[in-house]
Parts: sequence; C-alpha cells; structure tokens
Amino acid sequence: MGLHIVKRENCPLWKRCCFYLIAVLVALGIGSVILLAIGVNPVAYYTRMFTLGTIGNKIAYKTYINYLKDFVPLALTSLGLSLAFKMRFWNIGGEGQFIMGALAASAAAILLGNTLPSAAVLLLICVAAMAAAGLYGLLVAALKVKFGTNETLLTLMLNYVAVYLLNFLMGTKAGWNFYLNANELRPVPQKHPDSSLFPTIPMGGKFELNICVILVFVIGLLIYVYLKRTKQGYEINVVGDSIGTARYAGMKTNRIVLRTVFFSACLIGLAAAFKMGTVGTLSTSITADVGWTGIIVAWLAQLNTWVIFAVSALISMLHYGSTVAAATFKQVDSSFANMLQGFILFLVLAADFMIRFRIVRTRKEDRNG
Amino acid sequence: MDKLSVITSFLHAIVVYNVPLLYGTVGEIVVEKSGSLNLGVEGIMAVGAIFGYMMGCFANSLGVGIGVAFLAGVLCGLLFAFLTVSLQANQNITGLTLTTFGLGVYFFVGTSLKAVKWPVMGDYSNIMKGFAELPIPGLSKLPVIGSGLFSHNIMVYLGVAIAVVLWWYLNKTAPGLRLRAIGENPGAADSVGINVNRMKYLHICLGCGIMGIGGYYMALNMGGSFNSNCWINGYGWIAVALVIFANWSPALAILGTFVFGFFNTLKVSGSTLAAAFPGGLGWLADIPSQVFDALPFIITAVVLVVSSVQKKKNSGQPAFLGLNYFREER
Repeated sequence: MGLHIVKRENCPLWKRCCFYLIAVLVALGIGSVILLAIGVNPVAYYTRMFTLGTIGNKIAYKTYINYLKDFVPLALTSLGLSLAFKMRFWNIGGEGQFIMGALAASAAAILLGNTLPSAAVLLLICVAAMAAAGLYGLLVAALKVKFGTNETLLTLMLNYVAVYLLNFLMGTKAGWNFYLNANELRPVPQKHPDSSLFPTIPMGGKFELNICVILVFVIGLLIYVYLKRTKQGYEINVVGDSIGTARYAGMKTNRIVLRTVFFSACLIGLAAAFKMGTVGTLSTSITADVGWTGIIVAWLAQLNTWVIFAVSALISMLHYGSTVAAATFKQVDSSFANMLQGFILFLVLAADFMIRFRIVRTRKEDRNG
Repeated sequence: MDKLSVITSFLHAIVVYNVPLLYGTVGEIVVEKSGSLNLGVEGIMAVGAIFGYMMGCFANSLGVGIGVAFLAGVLCGLLFAFLTVSLQANQNITGLTLTTFGLGVYFFVGTSLKAVKWPVMGDYSNIMKGFAELPIPGLSKLPVIGSGLFSHNIMVYLGVAIAVVLWWYLNKTAPGLRLRAIGENPGAADSVGINVNRMKYLHICLGCGIMGIGGYYMALNMGGSFNSNCWINGYGWIAVALVIFANWSPALAILGTFVFGFFNTLKVSGSTLAAAFPGGLGWLADIPSQVFDALPFIITAVVLVVSSVQKKKNSGQPAFLGLNYFREER
C-alpha cells in the first residue's frame, strides 16, 4: 500500500469555500497562539484590528476614508496583475509600474494643475500615469515575445530601477526637479494643487466618499465584461490555457500578449493615478507595497475579478488594522499583518492542493500492471 | 601613503560588507539548480538574521548563531519545498510570500524582543572575539591589497569556502550532476532513477540554510542595532540578480560579489575616494548614490536581455527553472 496524488476534477463550490474558510481560520488561530506567547490577548487584538479601532471612536469617519485610500490602489493593482497572470505572464513588476505611473501623474498634476480646469487635469493625470506604466510593462512583454526573455526576473529588476529613480527624484534638490518644493531648503515633496485631487461625495455625517471608490467598482465591472463577453477576453483565456492551442486556432498570440500586458500595466498606472489624486503628495513610500501585495491578493482570489475586491478588502483591513492596533498594543509591531498574510497564503496554497488533487491509495497490483 | 590606505580600506569594505551577498547568491544558485525559483531570499535572510542574532547572543557564541541562522533558513526552505514540491504551489507566489512573511517575522520578533530587553552585541565577548579579523599569514603582509583582501573575519572565509565547495560539488561530483539534470529536465532525471523530490527537498533546504547564515552575517555587520530599517535592506534581491550575473556558477558568484560590492562601496566611500584623488576620481562625488543603488539591477537586466537575444548555448540557467514537476503529467 502506498499513497499517491491524482488530479481532481471539479471540486464543488461549497467545498472549496469550506477549504478556504478553514485555511483563513487556521491562520488566525496560529496568529492567536503567537499573540498569546508574547502576552497579548488575541480576542482584544483581533477585535481592534478588524474593526480598525472604530468602536467608540468619534472620528471613525476618518478611519474609513483612510482605509479606502489603501483599498482602492490595492484592488486596482491586483485587477491589473490578474490580467497578465491569466495568460501565465508573470508580471511581478507591479511595484515598478506603479512608481512610473505615480511619477507621471505627479508631473502632470504639478506642471498643469494650476493652468487647466480640474476635470481636464484629472483626465490628464490618469492618461499620463497609464501611458507611463503601460510602456514600462510593454517593454518587458516585447522582449519576452521577441527574444523569450524571462519576464519574472526582468520585471523584478525593473522594479528596483524604478524604486531608485523615485528615491533620486525625492532626494535631489535641483532647479529642474519640480517634484520637490522649491521654497524649502531640504528635499520636501511638492504638494499637488487642489485641482488635481479627485472630488468626493458627501454621504451624510462627516463621511465623504471619494469618487475613485465608485470608479474602481465600475472598472471592475468593465473588466468582468471584457473577460467574459468579448473576443479579446476569450483570447486571453485560451492563451492562458495553452499557447499552442491558441496558435493552432490561428490567434496572433504575440499580439495578444503585448496587448494584455500593456493593458495590465495601464491599470496599475491608473491605480497610481488614483492614489496620487487622493493623497496629493509623492513620497518614497507611495506604493505602500501594493505591487507586491497585489500579487498575493490576485493569487488568493484565484484571479477572479469579484473575489479580488473581497480579498483586497480583507488584506487592506489586516494592514490598516494592524497599524491602528499597534498604537494600543505597543509590543506588537504593525508587521504582524505581514506575518498573518503569510500564514493565510501558505494555508490557502495548502487548501488549493486539496482542491486540485486527491490523495489515493495505490494497490500493489495496480503498480505492477 | 595616506592615499594608499584609502584604497586599502576601500578594498576591505568591499569584502566585509558584501560577502553576505555571496551567501545569498550561492544559496539561491543551489536552489535554482534544482529547478526551483525561490524569490524569498530577502525574507529567508531576515529570518536567519533575527533568530541567529538572538540565539547567538543568548548562548554568547558565534557558532550557535551560525547554526541557528542555518536552521532557521532550512525551516523556511522546508516550507517552500513542501508547498512547491509536494503541494505543487506556484513558485513565484510562494517565494514572494516568503519574503513578506520573513520580513514580518523579523520585525515582529525584533519588536517583541526589544519590548523585553534587546541584546547589545558589544556585551557578548565571545561573539566580538569570534567576529574579529583573522589575518592570513603571509598574504596579509602584501602592500596595499594585503590587509584589504586577506585580513577578514571568519564569516568572509566561510562564505568563500562554501562557494568554492559548492562549485566543486555542482560541477565535479555525481550528486551535483544529478541535481543539474533535475533542473534541466526532471522527467528525464526521474526516468533514470533519480529521486527528484528528495533531491529537490535536500537542495532547497541546503540553499536556504546558506542564505540564513548570510542574514546572520548582515546582523553582525550592522552591529546588531535594531531599527526601522531591516538588516537585510534589499541584499536578498541583489542576490537574486547576482545569480543571473554569475550565470548560475558559485565560482563566478565570488567575482560577481566583488563587482556588485564595488558599486555598493562606491556609494558609501565614493566621496572619500574623490577627496583622496581629486584629479582622477573627483567626478565620483557628483554621482548620486541612487545610481550605485540601481546599477546592480540595471546591469542584471541588460545581462538578461542580452543573453536571451543571443540565445546563449552555455547559459547556466536551468531549463526547468520556475516550473513544478508533477510526475503524473510526465
């Protein structure tokens, strides 16, 4: 008697949901054990984390606004990445593409913000950011298609080129550097003019909903329709399943890869534009690691458009909640969220295995036969 | 004479501050030769660093620190191997998560430890003694380069020794050949009776353990002072780049460490060099430090593109890199 694994066909949805739910609960359970070990009450900690510290908080509306500022770029970046991942194009350059988008958006806002009407400025910010990020991604796709360059490693390298470009622009005082405030002696980033900020909609009380939040859901809907109902969306799925099949069916696979990666990076650029249009100042930590976290979110969501929103909401909650909780529980670093995120992903990967494969016993005669 | 001592200390700094890169790179080469792309180097080095430092101080022994850092790395490797080899999880995602997770563990453990009592490296005499320089008799007496290249702490010698031994292992021994076969074509390796999964597990764990030691070395270089910047500070990612630059060869990795280390050190001591040689090297002071930061990644990107354009025959990149091997689909 031995054990071996075989592929499982079509695991029912309810069973999948159960597996994932168990994975998340076990991850939180491991987190509790660690919290207990350093003498922190896990119930108190998790309560604070998942309510974002809003219970009994008079300025809770500010928390929600800030939480959404984290949620929007993460969800949009992850949506963008999922398009490339569907084709098994390992774009792990979200971080770099986001930075390129943010630099372009910031340039548009600072240089044109005071000369044009607000709507035109906002449109320009989005277009500039999408173009910059899109081209940064397209470069890699072109090399991959033409020469077979390893896209995982190349996008990784380009991330750091972008990071240090940003650091350079944020740290170098010079006459040409419009990213920095000219009136300050030390390098301080230039604030964007008010005309370059996205408008908000009052929702009663002091809470105001940023228009980006609505836009991101509209974009989600458009992407869903694009993937499920259009020829191009269908092509993406075929290329992802088997590039050989796609070629055999007469699809221009190179063009599909180029187009989709460009589109993927454009969405990440748009995420950067939304971020710049809500926070209004560039900084070296502008990405808040969404390029990295977005990859994990897209994977946790199994590249499903709507699940990406749900997972982004959960992961932003972990991150935002942990910084809030760190104010109360001084001995718990806010990086506890990173650990928890790791546990969740590791366990979901394990659950994934249970969904994709079955462990069966092999009988001796089977093996001999 | 004074100018020569500037060069000596420049060479010395290249070696001391960049050999951790060699550990990370050589560890990653072993992992990648088995066909697995592990993007968790940064996180694994961080985990090795914090546990190695903590336990090393606790036991007041450099050896214990190295051992614990190695074990911590091995555990990370075991996790990676379990998820990607046994459970067929995606390597990119698992590796990236290992980085996030490892940095999370690093800051979590460090912050909790700091809340109780942070061990100060200077208080542990055996660690200070163990980390002191051991000049190589003879060679270290050479003018200029002697004390720059041949008078270092034990971690430097250990790193170079590991690289040389692994070069020998990969290229000159039977198990090394089998490992490379798995990286090129696991199906074929399996069919001639090589236990693919066991070999992958062993080498992923070994490679990650070596990365862990590199992390501990970073901790010692930083004098064990814990603040908002991680000790590893991107070295894990440079190591991933260096693997490509070194064409997956541990011997070339020694050279590559020196090249990348040269840029790293120029960033810090470029202005000293410029002051010592205003005529020849004065321009160094005008180069922004971020250029030196970005150079390893720019060079590696160029190497990647150029070697894919040329379709190099002698590329050391394993053909199966990044792909999982599922026996039933052979």
